[in-house]
Amino acid sequence: MSEFSVVGKRVPRLDVLPRVLGEAKFSADLSLPGMLHAKVLRSPHAHARILNIDASRAERLPGVKAVVSGKDVLPYKWGVFAYTRDQQLIPKEKVRYFGEEVAAVAAVDEDTAFEALELIKVDYEPLPALFSPEESLREGAILIHDDKPGNVSVRIFVDEGDVDRALAESYLVQEDEFSSPEENYCMLEPYAVLANFDSTGLDIWCPNAGPHMKARPLSNAFGIPTSNVRVRKVHIGGHHGGRSEVSPADFIAALLSKKARRPVKLVYTREENMNCVRQVHAAKTWSRVGVDKEGKITALDMRVIMDGGAYASTGPIAASVAYLMIEEAYAMPNLRYEAIRAYTNKPPRGMYPHHPRTAYGGLEMQLDMLAEKLGMDPMELRLRNTVYEGYVTPTKTVITSCAEIETIKKAAEKAGWKEKYGKLPRGRGIGMACASVLSGFPMGIRGGSGAFVRFNEDGDATVISGVVDNGQGNDSMIATIAAEELGLPREAIKVVTADTSMTPADQGAYSQASTVISGGAVKAAAADAKRQLLEVAADLLEANKEDLIPKDGKIFIKGSPEKWVSMAKVARTALARDHQILGRGDRWPKGDSKREWVSNPRGQIASAFSFGTAVAEVEVDMETGRVKLLSMTAAHDCGYPINPLAVEQQIQRSALEAGPAGVMFEKHMWTDKGQNLNANFTDYWMPLATDVPNIDAIVVTSNDPYGPFGAKEGGLSISVAMVGAVANAIRNAIGVPVKEFPMTPDAILRAIEGNRESESRRGG
Amino acid sequence: MEQVPVILNINGREECLTIPPHKTLLEVLRNDLNLTGAKNGCEDGSCGTCTVLLDGSPVRSCLLLAVEVQGREITTIEGLSDGEKMHPVQQAFIDYGAVQCGYCSPGMILTAKAIVESAPSLTEAEVRKAIAGNLCRCTGYTKIVEAVLAVSSQKQATS
Repeated sequence: MSEFSVVGKRVPRLDVLPRVLGEAKFSADLSLPGMLHAKVLRSPHAHARILNIDASRAERLPGVKAVVSGKDVLPYKWGVFAYTRDQQLIPKEKVRYFGEEVAAVAAVDEDTAFEALELIKVDYEPLPALFSPEESLREGAILIHDDKPGNVSVRIFVDEGDVDRALAESYLVQEDEFSSPEENYCMLEPYAVLANFDSTGLDIWCPNAGPHMKARPLSNAFGIPTSNVRVRKVHIGGHHGGRSEVSPADFIAALLSKKARRPVKLVYTREENMNCVRQVHAAKTWSRVGVDKEGKITALDMRVIMDGGAYASTGPIAASVAYLMIEEAYAMPNLRYEAIRAYTNKPPRGMYPHHPRTAYGGLEMQLDMLAEKLGMDPMELRLRNTVYEGYVTPTKTVITSCAEIETIKKAAEKAGWKEKYGKLPRGRGIGMACASVLSGFPMGIRGGSGAFVRFNEDGDATVISGVVDNGQGNDSMIATIAAEELGLPREAIKVVTADTSMTPADQGAYSQASTVISGGAVKAAAADAKRQLLEVAADLLEANKEDLIPKDGKIFIKGSPEKWVSMAKVARTALARDHQILGRGDRWPKGDSKREWVSNPRGQIASAFSFGTAVAEVEVDMETGRVKLLSMTAAHDCGYPINPLAVEQQIQRSALEAGPAGVMFEKHMWTDKGQNLNANFTDYWMPLATDVPNIDAIVVTSNDPYGPFGAKEGGLSISVAMVGAVANAIRNAIGVPVKEFPMTPDAILRAIEGNRESESRRGG
Repeated sequence: MEQVPVILNINGREECLTIPPHKTLLEVLRNDLNLTGAKNGCEDGSCGTCTVLLDGSPVRSCLLLAVEVQGREITTIEGLSDGEKMHPVQQAFIDYGAVQCGYCSPGMILTAKAIVESAPSLTEAEVRKAIAGNLCRCTGYTKIVEAVLAVSSQKQATS
């Protein structure tokens, strides 16, 4: 598809210059005249009734301008769905996790705000606290939310085909249980908010994965129109799934500003960011998978118990993604999946690409064990179970463009799979896994994106889109799409994005929909502007507009490269004729609007699906259990890449988060009172540059019929697939599966030891 | 609160300030001098986003008191380019795709500048060891290492 002039070129992103110069302003870098500084008082109990809050001494401290608590909030509860509204943005009646927001202070400086916190007196009545689904799902357990019987936050259940019969008739069945504690997003930017609430409404700067999705709950929390909440464009230091919702921090800064009638900045510490924004679910997965003699998967029966923490958050989505990503990656005629997301007295858990790692990593280890029993190369087993264009999943989603097989072959070839698998010495291992990721999912009236394109009198263009850039390069992506459609160089496109007062609504960047939906809207708006431009140009060139080709800022007549007019001249001519060139467009996911996460998990879920295969090679010290990652290779089918460099970046990002972080290192630890023991970067080990090898990123091209220029989501499949690849590599190296995540040296030694014991029992 | 006068040499300029003696260099850079390129990622020295150069060597500005570094040469990310021409490391970070969200970039770039200038040539392992104190969640480190190695070999070729 070399007909494109800018799309598909591997070039530097357009949006990074301010970030290397140190000019980029993140929320904590901003200030406004008269700005106050805020601090939050947090619960010292995991579960307690709030009996009384006396803030009078804090209010009298010189320099304190406002104190807020649950007394100041409307009876509004936040929830992603109508049926999951359970979180007051400052709780009124009770606290549900250690560290939950109880009150907050705005003062002339942080030191004063901090001092004031100690003067707030809160009387609590401690309640029994529940720290695991085992405890909270037990009959008779105290209820964390009075209206949620059994402490069940969400239950997802799908049962398609005849799983029991298929498993009974399977040639081989593999059954295992896997477990995992919590993980953290570890975005480098701690949460920070600047809010200014005045008579016109709320102006707010905060990390987000969709400004429009923050404006709505904030307007509800204050009882003001959504259009009176302006969530502003700001640099965002990572999202990774953890910033898709309104945060109590947003609300608290806004409420303090409203009360103090001055701008308020609230900057979280690393500990607050790790504990009080969102965490990643702990989970247990029980999985039974069958194959026939040829290695074709006959059925999967999977049950997942997720520790959701204190609130529902994105629970219905979080509890569903495991079966979706599995059924969209591997063809299987029968599927039963049950997920129970339980409330506990721990911090609330949100979305994360590879959670639950027990489901993805677990199933992939099972597939390798089955391949081994069949005497089959695990790559061959995967090749026999891929999905394809036109394939219908058990829950009735039709797969569109699909280059899954190519991702397997390319990753295997690059990693030297054939030369290595089965031929490595003990202690060395190689593993493979596949995954699929959906580009967007149904979000009702908020699922679409709109865009405008404005031609300026100099002949360049401004794109106005609600898309948000969290660091993945969405601003650069839409500029490239607009440039291609308009026939302008990329540098001639300015972008205005992610400002709820200025940009059209957008679904946000957390459903992997930005390229397909937001990018699609920009392409449509650019096409509309181009149509207007060509009408004027046709007049100037005395040609049919069908014969005109816009390229490099000029409009040519097809077949006569010497006949052209500059876009600047066309834009000015249009203005002289009393016409501004303004294009508009919107784009919507093609999902089945009747599909619903809990009540109706059937029907088309998304308009496009990306595919990926990861291969990892490890060396395990059999005496210490220490794992050294020798190589990571990842191939991702992103449709037609808008910018291959940006796709590589996302592939490499995903590989780090899934492999070393997700399999080898990361977990939270707790005291018996529910206090997080390692909410900091010293005790929570995220991978360093020395922990990982170079990550080989392979961009696999297909052509999606719905995505702009054939593009779809760019890299996330690897954040799932690399979990299975590293898990399988470790299994391959030591000869047994490690069923607890993360696979720390002690977990690996336990697995080796357990195997030795069972072997000696068998032998003896 | 007690205030002390300090003179700091930052990006080649003398800055005279009166500050409480417990203020860290990071706080003074960000709050008193509006040099917000140095970030506060953890406040305990583990993430490296606050990295600045002290007499050419990378240090954690969150772990240093401003009063301690008087008379030393401090370089922040804002001082790395003159506004017209970028430092080769900055250009390489753009060209090689070593930047995603950009929160780690100022600290990472300053660390990279220091190592590139400290050794005539660098291996991948040396680069990885040198940047091991600068955390990044968005790049997988691969393109950062490539960018630094490219600058190092360019430098070798031209010297």
